[in-house]
Amino acid sequence: MQLDFGVAWKYLPFLLQAALMTIALTVLSQALGTIAAFFLALARMSPRAWLRRPTIAYIWVVRGTPLLLHLFFVYYAAPAFGVTLDAFPAAIIAMSASAAAYNAEIIRAGLQAVHRGQVEAAYAVGMRYGQVVRRIIVPQAVRIIIPSYMGNAISHTKNSSLASVITVPELMLTAQMIYSSTYRAIEILTVTGAIYLVLTSCLSALQMYCERLTAYEQRGLGGGRRRRLRLDEPLPTLPA
Amino acid sequence: MIEIEDLHKHFGAVRALDGVSLSVAAGEVVCLIGPSGSGKSTLLRCINFLEEPTSGVVRVNGKRVGWEEHDGRARRVSSAELARTRAEIGMVFQHFYLWPHMIALENVIEGLVTVKGMRVSEAAAKGRALLEKVGLTDKMETYPEHLSGGQRQRVAIARALAMDPRVMLFDEPTSSLDPELVGEVLRVMEQVAGEGMTMLVATHEMGFARKAADRVVFLDQGRILEVGTPKEIFGRPRHERTRRFLEKILV
Repeated sequence: MQLDFGVAWKYLPFLLQAALMTIALTVLSQALGTIAAFFLALARMSPRAWLRRPTIAYIWVVRGTPLLLHLFFVYYAAPAFGVTLDAFPAAIIAMSASAAAYNAEIIRAGLQAVHRGQVEAAYAVGMRYGQVVRRIIVPQAVRIIIPSYMGNAISHTKNSSLASVITVPELMLTAQMIYSSTYRAIEILTVTGAIYLVLTSCLSALQMYCERLTAYEQRGLGGGRRRRLRLDEPLPTLPA
Repeated sequence: MIEIEDLHKHFGAVRALDGVSLSVAAGEVVCLIGPSGSGKSTLLRCINFLEEPTSGVVRVNGKRVGWEEHDGRARRVSSAELARTRAEIGMVFQHFYLWPHMIALENVIEGLVTVKGMRVSEAAAKGRALLEKVGLTDKMETYPEHLSGGQRQRVAIARALAMDPRVMLFDEPTSSLDPELVGEVLRVMEQVAGEGMTMLVATHEMGFARKAADRVVFLDQGRILEVGTPKEIFGRPRHERTRRFLEKILV
């Protein structure tokens, strides 16, 4: 068997073009899925059953069924409800829905890891629920969430290849089209795999960066924060 | 300043508070003593509605906590109103509950900035003065993780003081401290008491109660068994139960 990576080189621009589609698909659905997941997580923890129960059911169904099925479902079932969706928006809907379910549980775990006493101390100084979430819970939860969230984002990136089945011209579908016309499966798949590896490596690097960024007690205070807090000015005296 | 009428708090079948009535005058320092599980913490937590009482009325500065009364009918207050009430009630917890993602100074001014909408620079001036007051001038930019228990609790006291509360509730503020760190916290509390703050303090520190309290309340099984001056309670307790408790704790 003779390998000919010249073919892969020739088609590389097409693969890179397709990689952009993979990035768009992943980033957009992950972003939408994360925003939705945040509110799902809050609803999931709500003492109100009418908020909590549907959320639990949603997460149960979506996490318990394959993404492949969701993709087909959205793409082929939508016309039955009077809307015809292009492949790309259909994939975004299905992938966002899936990302939302997975991320909701990851975010919930992070939010719940913040000690109840932290929250009580915030209520005790007079904060309201939204302020407690924004100022006390989220900043601490983000740090806890990063590793599992980024792990899930990496899976999500790879799972975007499933969108090929509903004809979204992303990396996997493009690779298939190229090797079925050139018969150079090994070369094309190798290069395609390398591109996926670059994408997911970027996410791993981003994870390390975020972890460093949130290691607050190991970083010094930034200059802006020092100035705002007037840490370098002489001590004021309390008015009696 | 604080009026409590027939307060009940039940957790299932457990009666954590079983009809407590108590009133604390402005500027008064009242210590709550009693065995673990006697309801000291629950009482304090009901005062700022961290725990919702099963029944009974709590008033702070004349205003009912958690409920409002219109034409003789009581209605739950909005969360905004409850937050406003809580801002006037300082609370210090046994386990400090400083926010770990903020330096000491930021912990102190967080309420001023987020709740009172004060500018950070303005709040910082006040926060720094308060940290100086509790003896932590050199720890302003330290994260709670790197503070000792006594230092953490003093930051927590400064955090509560920053809001200019009408009353301060202390929930066993020295119970999770190493013995050699208790003194520094008690000294700050005595200083706050000396400035005329109305204080309700759940504590096992009988020395503090004797020295700083105007009155001492002995709680047992969710009821107030007796109330008196430190002299009365520690000198000649009327109840056998109080006597036995004090004997055990004052060995």
